Amino acid sequence: MAPEPPLLTMSGITKSFPGVRALDGVDLDVQAGEVHCLLGQNGAGKSTLIKVLAGAHQPDDGTITWRGEPVTLKSPIAAMRLGIATIYQELDLVEGLSVAENVHLGHEPTAAGFVVRGKAAKESTAALLGRLGHPEIDPARLVGDLSAAHQQIVSMARALSHDVRLIVMDEPSAALDPDEVDNLFRIVGDLTADGVAVVYISHRLEEIRRIGDRVTVLKDGRAVAGGLPAKSTPTREVVALMTGRNVEYVFPERPPAPPADGTPVLQVRGLARDGEFEPLDLEVRPGEIVGLAGLVGSGRSEILETIYGARKPSAGQVLVEGRPLRLGSVRAAVRAGLGLAPEERKAQALLMLESVTRNVSVSSMSRFARGGWIDRGAELAAARTATRELSLRPDNPSVPVRTLSGGNQQKAVLARWLLRGCRVLLLDEPTRGVDVGARAELYAVVRRLADEGLAVLLVSSEVPEVLGLADRVLVLREGRVVHTAPARELDEHRVLDLVMEGSPVASVGSPVAGEGSPAS
Amino acid sequence: MAHVTSRRGLLFGTAAVSAGALLAGCTSNESSEEPAANDQPAADDKPGKEVTIGFAGPQADHGWLNAINENAKSRAEKYEDVTLEITEGSNDTAQQIGQIETLINKKVDVLVILPADGKALTQVGLKAMRAGIPVVNLDRIFNSPQAYRCWIGGDNYGMGLNAGHYIGEKLKDKPNARVIELAGVDSLELTRQRTQGFDDALKNYPNIKKVARQAADFTVESGQAKMAQLLQAQSKFDALWNHDDDQGVGALRAIEQAGRDDFLMVGGAGALSAFQAIKKDDGVLKATVLYPPTMAASAIDLARALGQGKGVGGLAEFEIPASLTLYSAVVDKDNVDQYMSTGFK
Amino acid sequence: MTQHVSPPRSGTGKATPASEPPAWRALLFRADVRTFSLLGVLAALIVIGGITRPDQFLDTRNLQLVLTQASVIGVVTVGMTFVIISGGIDLSVGAIVALASVWATTVATQEYGFAGILFTAVIVGVGCGLVNGVLIAYGGMVPFIATLAMLASARGLALLITDGKTQIVTVDGILNLTERDAYVLGIPPLVLVFAAVTIIGWLVLNRTTFGRRTVAVGGNAEAARLAGIDVRRQRLYLYLLSGLCCGIAAFLLIALSGSGQNTNGNLYELDAIAAAIIGGTLLSGGRGTIIGSVLGVLIFTTITNIFALNNLQSDVQQIAKGAIIVAAVLVQRRTASTTT
Repeated sequence: MAPEPPLLTMSGITKSFPGVRALDGVDLDVQAGEVHCLLGQNGAGKSTLIKVLAGAHQPDDGTITWRGEPVTLKSPIAAMRLGIATIYQELDLVEGLSVAENVHLGHEPTAAGFVVRGKAAKESTAALLGRLGHPEIDPARLVGDLSAAHQQIVSMARALSHDVRLIVMDEPSAALDPDEVDNLFRIVGDLTADGVAVVYISHRLEEIRRIGDRVTVLKDGRAVAGGLPAKSTPTREVVALMTGRNVEYVFPERPPAPPADGTPVLQVRGLARDGEFEPLDLEVRPGEIVGLAGLVGSGRSEILETIYGARKPSAGQVLVEGRPLRLGSVRAAVRAGLGLAPEERKAQALLMLESVTRNVSVSSMSRFARGGWIDRGAELAAARTATRELSLRPDNPSVPVRTLSGGNQQKAVLARWLLRGCRVLLLDEPTRGVDVGARAELYAVVRRLADEGLAVLLVSSEVPEVLGLADRVLVLREGRVVHTAPARELDEHRVLDLVMEGSPVASVGSPVAGEGSPAS
Repeated sequence: MAHVTSRRGLLFGTAAVSAGALLAGCTSNESSEEPAANDQPAADDKPGKEVTIGFAGPQADHGWLNAINENAKSRAEKYEDVTLEITEGSNDTAQQIGQIETLINKKVDVLVILPADGKALTQVGLKAMRAGIPVVNLDRIFNSPQAYRCWIGGDNYGMGLNAGHYIGEKLKDKPNARVIELAGVDSLELTRQRTQGFDDALKNYPNIKKVARQAADFTVESGQAKMAQLLQAQSKFDALWNHDDDQGVGALRAIEQAGRDDFLMVGGAGALSAFQAIKKDDGVLKATVLYPPTMAASAIDLARALGQGKGVGGLAEFEIPASLTLYSAVVDKDNVDQYMSTGFK
Repeated sequence: MTQHVSPPRSGTGKATPASEPPAWRALLFRADVRTFSLLGVLAALIVIGGITRPDQFLDTRNLQLVLTQASVIGVVTVGMTFVIISGGIDLSVGAIVALASVWATTVATQEYGFAGILFTAVIVGVGCGLVNGVLIAYGGMVPFIATLAMLASARGLALLITDGKTQIVTVDGILNLTERDAYVLGIPPLVLVFAAVTIIGWLVLNRTTFGRRTVAVGGNAEAARLAGIDVRRQRLYLYLLSGLCCGIAAFLLIALSGSGQNTNGNLYELDAIAAAIIGGTLLSGGRGTIIGSVLGVLIFTTITNIFALNNLQSDVQQIAKGAIIVAAVLVQRRTASTTT
């Protein structure tokens, strides 16, 4: 490590909220020009720590030293003045303003103190976007019209529009495609070459391997390890530190004989949506997990939503247990036995103000109702049975669903379909926002549901997940199936090769050895 | 109350006297089915020069305003030489200004304007006058006398005054008499004027005390609600003055519901239902103070006279007066038949 | 955490407190904090009324009066609460009450007597609700705009029907509803209707699939849709329900005022929204209670009553009403933030 004093030192940072001690004496030091990764499960204190660093929270105790001087970060503006910029996971852009206006929000270039010099703002924004590798983004466009990836670039441009020495990035790659991630990493490399420090938060260990210099692991509000070398610390050790258990990113065993001869419960014939995906055929049998692998924009989520009736196809047919499904109707799909665990859990699946019970029972209410009247005792009992079967924690379906962790929220969605008695489960990015430790458990749940006779259609942008969990994999590129094979005959390189259309796999980055390969 | 007294000063000068005389001509005693569409000659009953009269009023969402429109229309129909250009009623100031400007552009001979808001429409009145179109300002007065050639309207202060005197006379021998008041929309100046007149009249009777006042909003619903509360608040009182016969329907309903009949009630405006109740004389309502919608018919007469360049009958003047304040007569059992035809629904 | 095994099925369908796990009770308690704060406000008002005008305020007749006056707007507010919980808004309630009340009191309708008036009021209310619902659920119109359009047209139609005239009711059966002889155990029939609507509203919201769907649609319409709920049909039903409540309210108003007038229901939409909001209903949808809304109505009616009994004028009344709205919402924000 660099011999000179650290750019930033945080020591003994403590922060409590009513009923929760979010940070309990955390130490963190960051050198100029390094990528310092923060790892930890949800609720470990990562968000609170970066909010303290951004000046959004005031610590109850502890000291912060910036370039050798003790400082207090009273407000986000104070942090910004020192040169600390934060890019949050939920982008805090104003959708109704232009790119340039967003980039300069709060520090607009002005004439006479108040007249905004729009041209100057646009020029400097264009320069920043060029530096970030996206000169094609028009500074005059409304941010609301941009893609998620471009919004992230704008957010980064905003951070760089200040004289910045430290950038905090909270899961910046979550919404990005692999090639976008590559661009992000190039930007990070440029920044560190200029001596800017980056605090990088991610769930994806392989990213941390690629760009990280050092790793600090948080657990339960404490730093359980600080300054570990990012590239050489064994995965097992990192996971063990995060979870406190020796749990791996493992997949359940597949059944010895894939049920290739069963009658398909879900048959998709020539299903297509203009401009999104081309005619598609697929079949899923009871007990089988079929995976769809592809990049963002390959049509994966669109296919699931079309099968589910949330989008209307331009052609094709869907059969459930041999009977054709009325297309474009979610209600018909649900009645036929389909269930969807959508990509955006909070926005598309959960009633965040409601209890777990009500979230689980929402699709089967009529079962507990006679003439519209709900028997709440029966409802609670059924919800309890369903959530217990999935080991949902806490084991109390009356708690509000928003208090659950990501993995348990996902289980609540699965319990909804379990209770409904669905025959086909459509999973869209089932582990997004789920801790590494909780993923293995979720995989086991999905496999168990399949073993009990459910047909599962799985979509994931994480290739190892598709390869590890699915029995059969369809590889999608630009709305077209380019390859179908049993999962055990594929490896990640081959899949990435296919989705990238022969471009060098190395540019996508090789996964950490031992991860993603099926346990069987 | 400076503005009220100053206007009253003006009235007492000439107009009050002449108004009475004129009114006798305008609102005839002969009963006919149409309110105020009477046969009494106004300026000159014989057909004269053709006159186009533009009429702009507020939205007729209230019995009294509806009666204003009907009075104007039926009066105009009576004259072969009068063409009435009537606009869609509007409570929106901007819209009413637009309507009046359209009438100005059409070059009508005379304008009769009952503004939704007198102050806000002063400018368009001035504009018409400058364009050479005489304006008869009906009831709600413009800010500037330059904005109209002739103002004709009711006397809100006088209404309160006469109601107060009527009640005062009825109760003058009763020691420690208690009176309550159910006012109209409190945000309107006319409500304040009515209350002031009422209070001023009661000052003449030291034995009478006004013990409560609540404001309704000219609707049946509010009349019922506010009256019900007043009845609960005042377990005993001797007289009630209600500003408006429309809300009086609700007030009477509340009185009936509370089973109270131990006081006398005086209404305001002159609705047909009130006249009928007074005539029947089986309830608390004993009288009502007029705020006659026949003023619209008179306004048409004045407009026609202006258009033909004549004076009005019954007056020695060559020109019609600049201002006419109508008398708020008290209608009780004795004279109700005479007014029955002017009652509005 | 302690685990409770819930009884397999309680025969009555009534959940006994013992079977409720602690977290649920915490949730219940938080809902109750809100209700208690409203009850506290109401109690404070009763104390004020009792001190300032003891004889007039603390009187059976006054209680009957306050509850009667609350009945009309109360019924409207129950419907409005459902709509707001579903994430919508109904600005047309006052206009629908006006239209229903004048349509039901035309000379022609009155010939059909009590039943004719009741039927017409309800049908007109439901009809307007149907138009609102179809425009919003299937026409894709924003509730604010669709119901604003209904406000304008229903008021216009009401004026067209009445020609600005007050339509006096001559049907004795209707007029007698507010007579003291018609009181049941001292309770005016209008108040009984209000109570029935409140209880049914509470049951529907808390105990039926309809209520659940309403909350789900308001909490997260997209999630509700993907969970298999017919969101559009639910929205249609909700505006129908609001229209039905307006029809019932119009009938009560006809009985109370003995007439129909196009100015009826003036600014009911704002009163109903205000009562629902101070009752704890989220304007953004997803949460709200019937009890809270009804308490909101009672608070407003009691304030009006106390002010009238003390002969305070309408300017003061309006200022106080505004202050109460702000105070109630602030108090609720505080209680909400300290309990989460």
